[in-house]
Amino acid sequence: MRVTRTRRAAMLLAVLMFAVTACAGAGRPVDLVTVNSVERPRPVGAEENPAPPSTSASKAPDCDAEASFRPPDPMPAPGQMPEGSTMKAIQDAGMLIAGVDQNTFLFGFRDPTTNALEGFDIDRVREIAKAIFNDPNKVQFKVVTSAGRVDALKNGDVHIVVRTFTATCQRWQEINFSAIYYMAGQRLLVDQASTVTTLDELGDQKVCAAKGSTSIKTIADYKSKPIPVQVDNWTDCLIMLQQGQVAAMSTDDTILAGMVAQDPNVKMVGERFTKEPYGIGIPKENEDMVRFVNGVLEQSVADGSWADSYDTWLGDTGGSRPAAPTPKYRK
Amino acid sequence: MVTASPPEPGTRKGVWEIPATAARRVRRSAASTPGRLFVIGVGLVVLSLLTGLVGAVALQQKQATIDNLIEHREPVAAASQQIYRSLSDADATAASAFLAGGNPPEELRERYELDIAQAGANLAKAAADVAGVPQAQEQVDQLSQQLPVYTGLVETARAFNRQGFPAGAAYLREASGLMRAKLLPAAQELYSIDFRRLAEEQAQARSFPWITTALVLALLAALVATQMYLVRRTNRLLNVGLLVASIAVLVGLIWGTVALLIESNSVADGQESGTQQVELAVEARIVALKMRANETLTLVARGDGGDYEKEWQALVPEMSGDGADNLLARARELAADDETREVLDRARANVADWVELHKQVRELDDGGSYEKAVELAMGDGDDGVAARFGELDGNLLAAINSGREQFVAETGAASKALTGLVPGAAVLALLAATGVTMGIRERLREYR
Repeated sequence: MRVTRTRRAAMLLAVLMFAVTACAGAGRPVDLVTVNSVERPRPVGAEENPAPPSTSASKAPDCDAEASFRPPDPMPAPGQMPEGSTMKAIQDAGMLIAGVDQNTFLFGFRDPTTNALEGFDIDRVREIAKAIFNDPNKVQFKVVTSAGRVDALKNGDVHIVVRTFTATCQRWQEINFSAIYYMAGQRLLVDQASTVTTLDELGDQKVCAAKGSTSIKTIADYKSKPIPVQVDNWTDCLIMLQQGQVAAMSTDDTILAGMVAQDPNVKMVGERFTKEPYGIGIPKENEDMVRFVNGVLEQSVADGSWADSYDTWLGDTGGSRPAAPTPKYRK
Repeated sequence: MVTASPPEPGTRKGVWEIPATAARRVRRSAASTPGRLFVIGVGLVVLSLLTGLVGAVALQQKQATIDNLIEHREPVAAASQQIYRSLSDADATAASAFLAGGNPPEELRERYELDIAQAGANLAKAAADVAGVPQAQEQVDQLSQQLPVYTGLVETARAFNRQGFPAGAAYLREASGLMRAKLLPAAQELYSIDFRRLAEEQAQARSFPWITTALVLALLAALVATQMYLVRRTNRLLNVGLLVASIAVLVGLIWGTVALLIESNSVADGQESGTQQVELAVEARIVALKMRANETLTLVARGDGGDYEKEWQALVPEMSGDGADNLLARARELAADDETREVLDRARANVADWVELHKQVRELDDGGSYEKAVELAMGDGDDGVAARFGELDGNLLAAINSGREQFVAETGAASKALTGLVPGAAVLALLAATGVTMGIRERLREYR
């Protein structure tokens, strides 16, 4: 009994002494500054899991979004727009104001070397300017974001919007569309190393698309519940993918082709899972302008400039050149 | 060994009673006149030495505060405003280089590199000073963590630009967003913390040493009272020792008061026509940089830059017009000399020209002449915005530098006003103590 007590006391003493020396140890180095996580830079306006826009709640009535208004016959000659028409007003003003993109490679982008706007969409604008003024350069380009396209038309800031603009029944309620000049479809862009091929495999992962686009809506509504990340410009998605901030980017194959052209370390995968008919946006009240633009589009397909433009911009993106979409008209 | 043995109740009691015994003895001796004189003499000597010590320490501290203002506090504040300036200029330059298109001009690249190097060097200077100020530490951490990220993004943008890909523009937008959302706010906060600390230390340098003054006045009163007591007791009007002591204390009081008044006045002048003027000029420079960045980014956005233009318009009243917000007018009111006022007048003229040119830029851009608008805003012509902005920045820098010189001159004068006061106070205190000792001993001798 006594032995154990003594031993216990000795042990206690030893522990105490150890504790005291440990506490009093003056030789401990001062802690280094430790940074455990760094917040990554993000494109301006990037937003994770955005609240769905209020308009998406109201279901648009069914319609044929691809059907536009029949062009006039005959088409007015360049520089001689009919009196009282929207085109005449534009001709008198001396400048066609076009809402375009300056950040989407191959469709509407600013060439950093020449400072000029170029691309498949830009070619369409110049064709229309040529048809009105007989001068493809009488254009004032105004850059609009995907989300700002409908408002730019409704506010009268621009005469037309040519910006990978999908004709939908919802948008038809607020603006008019020209006939379809290109048929795209939504696909998926991932890192070369990724094994993902469909949105089904991206549940709970971040997928990027532009604000106000049809693609972001498709992602948000998709059954596997990916986390939508929206940005102002398509190229912002590419840099988020490069920086490893999103698992994939998903939008029209044409836009994605522009991304692949800029970075060989990403690849387009899977099949088209939506149909995105591109039309030129025109204010609701300017039906004469819609008809006129449709006439211009028909001419450009007929004289081969549509095909030339396709070859210039989209020729290298793989596959053979598709036939130009056949225009559909309502009345 | 008494201490080693267990303490006896008696001894312990003896130890405790020493102060009481001493007090009793003092009381007993103070009952007689010579005893009282002795006690008064000891008290006066102690008070003189204490006053001298407290005064010398307080003055030494004040001197140290002033020297610290010039050598440390103000340079750090200047360094942190330079961080903001360099970062903001780097951002505007990167955007200009982008607008220039193609391979950007060599001078824009050099300017950007210089800006980044300067920001880094000044950040190191500001970082050496933030210990114990957690808020400032936070800003320095933010700046030193994000600055390398920013430059990385800009270089990536450059690589893509050279290949002709719009990804370059996207990286540049991300970089600029990082700058405007994190780096610039941190730099602005750091610089306002540093200016606040400068103002606090200036107030400290101006403060009046109340404790020392109270001690001096008490000493003087005690000396006068002792002399009156002696006159009553000994019927002798003059006691040389005590008189010398009183004069020494009086000289110390007058010297100290005058020197401190001059010092506090000089520090206040340095604060008003120096620091405060500098602060306004710095703020004006920051506003000018913000305006320039907004102007550039409006053009980069090419029609989608309405917010930048709105911000530009909101900043204009701070730089021009007759409003109370006009920083340049307020700086001019505080300026110390005609030269600085002229520099600020020139800056105001630059702003007026710029506002006029900006209107033209917007008209050109909104009217569809984008290339001409870019040329007017970015071109290196003598009539362009870039030239006006360069002049404005130069004039504001001149105003900042002259304000800083004014600060150093005035604060240096404040430091000079205190010259010799510390040893002087010590010598005078010793003189007073000696005088008291001699004077009291002379009277005591008469009682033998």
